[in-house]
Amino acid sequence: MNRTARVKRSRRLDPLSLAGLGCLLLLVLVALGSLVHAGGDPDAIVGPRLRPPGPGWWLGTDNLGRSMLPRVMEGVGTTLLLSSAAVLVTAALSAGFGILAGYRGGYLNELIMRVVELLYSFPAIVLAILVAAVAGPGQLAAVASIVLVTIPLMTRLVRAAAVAVAERDYVTAAAISGAGLPRILGRHVLPNVAGTIAVQGTYALSVGISVEGGLSFLGFGVQPPQASLGVLIRQGGTYMMAAPWLIIGPGVVLVLAILSINVLGDGLRDRFEPRETRSLI
Amino acid sequence: MILDLTDVTVSFTTGPPLRRTRLDAMRGVSLSVAEGETLGLVGESGSGKTTTSRVALGLQRPTSGTVRFDGRPFPRRRKDLAGRMQAVLQHPHWSLNPRMRIGQSVGEPLAVLGKAAGELVPEALEQVGLEAGFAGRYPHELSGGQRQRVSIARALITRPSFIVFDEAVSALDVSVQVQILNLLKDLQAEYGFAALFISHDLGAVRYVADRIAVMRGGEVVETADAATFYSAPEHPYSRQLLESL
Ligand SMILES: Nc1ncnc2c1ncn2[C@@H]1O[C@H](COP(=O)(O)OP(=O)(O)OP(=O)(O)O)[C@@H](O)[C@H]1O
Ligand SMILES: [Mg+2]
Repeated sequence: MNRTARVKRSRRLDPLSLAGLGCLLLLVLVALGSLVHAGGDPDAIVGPRLRPPGPGWWLGTDNLGRSMLPRVMEGVGTTLLLSSAAVLVTAALSAGFGILAGYRGGYLNELIMRVVELLYSFPAIVLAILVAAVAGPGQLAAVASIVLVTIPLMTRLVRAAAVAVAERDYVTAAAISGAGLPRILGRHVLPNVAGTIAVQGTYALSVGISVEGGLSFLGFGVQPPQASLGVLIRQGGTYMMAAPWLIIGPGVVLVLAILSINVLGDGLRDRFEPRETRSLI
Repeated sequence: MILDLTDVTVSFTTGPPLRRTRLDAMRGVSLSVAEGETLGLVGESGSGKTTTSRVALGLQRPTSGTVRFDGRPFPRRRKDLAGRMQAVLQHPHWSLNPRMRIGQSVGEPLAVLGKAAGELVPEALEQVGLEAGFAGRYPHELSGGQRQRVSIARALITRPSFIVFDEAVSALDVSVQVQILNLLKDLQAEYGFAALFISHDLGAVRYVADRIAVMRGGEVVETADAATFYSAPEHPYSRQLLESL
């Protein structure tokens, strides 16, 4: 195997991924805007009920006469916040378990991988409902569900990356020099699997958004009056025929969020890991 | 003797469960390396050279047989040997952590010992013919030959009594190989470390080794002084290797 020639990779993201990044940042900005009621007060009654989009209520009004714009803005914020919090937890746990399993191998590896496979074998939404049943519906259930749904694949891929890194000569040389486990894992393995963690974390974020959407849609996640994209879609569903804008607004934003994050993930993957890896979706 | 392997066998079981096969990567290998001496270990791919080096470095426990480093069996805690043996390994591309600056990589064995690197890193770089300014660079900014020089600097910085070179020059151009081999000889003359120099290239080994051991299929078939070996090899396999040179 003579791969001395380095795979050429660009430092910058391609235009499509940059567009994804831009779109994601825009959504974050929108979410932050909702904190200062930039789109209006989400709880204020602004007009007649179930009005189609128009001046004063650019995304229409809901069944109580509230403007959908500030509600969608608040919903984006809730969804992004819960998903990112969950992904941070997933990234930390996956990094820890994946690196340890990949570097140490043996029984620890077996144990960690069995648990991961068990989790992996549950369909995401079943897992999420089980969590909601145990923890009770709410934000905690949403976060815990996202963690449990995203942790198996991320741990597997981090482990695979760690196995590859562990075989490299610089790790062996460090071990020969007498470097202990903390130094080897912290200085050598972690920095060299960080790209995988970043890429998979991005994909996990989009999975997190769809899990939150699904769970709240089913009524097991975020609870009204708090808005999240899932909550809004659930509420809009009731009036789908009479007022389709109630579902279109949050629906489009949800798809936009997932798409832009996946595109960004693909760009990061090409940047950090030139070889093919599979996205979560 | 700095290193003594006596009747060492290493067996691996490979393959899927139920159809496991046993493979002896080393079979009854006895070798020794004296202080300041270079033992050249040659043999074709898969003959067990790397396994032998892993045993010599205490990374691989023998299935049977004994290993002594500096007259004693390997300590239970790896840390007790820190700094006393080092290695320069095969692949210039993977021999240095791409996320660490050269200076950090070179100074790492000292950091492991809890010693301050201070002036030692630039000194070590100069010893292997690199400017002190290389300390601030990353591995991808270096050529293969420069990277192997860095690996040598890293290995030397704790003044170990034993260094393993496993195919340390094999991936380099011939002209660069010669430079590195010359450097090795100079450094060894200056610091007197013992070395296990592994290569499938008899030409490179001839350059640096005081004694030669030939491996084939996990066994050592011949051990001889370099001069004797290259003029009058005893084993038919050694002759065969020399003829193909
Ligand atoms: N961890 C392992 N598990 C199973 N088999 C192994 C392992 N390590 C080495 N082997 C086998 O042991 C034999 C000797 O391998 P080794 O790496 O020591 O050869 P080598 O002489 O260094 O070869 P090369 O010149 O290609 O580096 C090979 O057949 C190899 O497949
Ligand atoms: Mg080898």
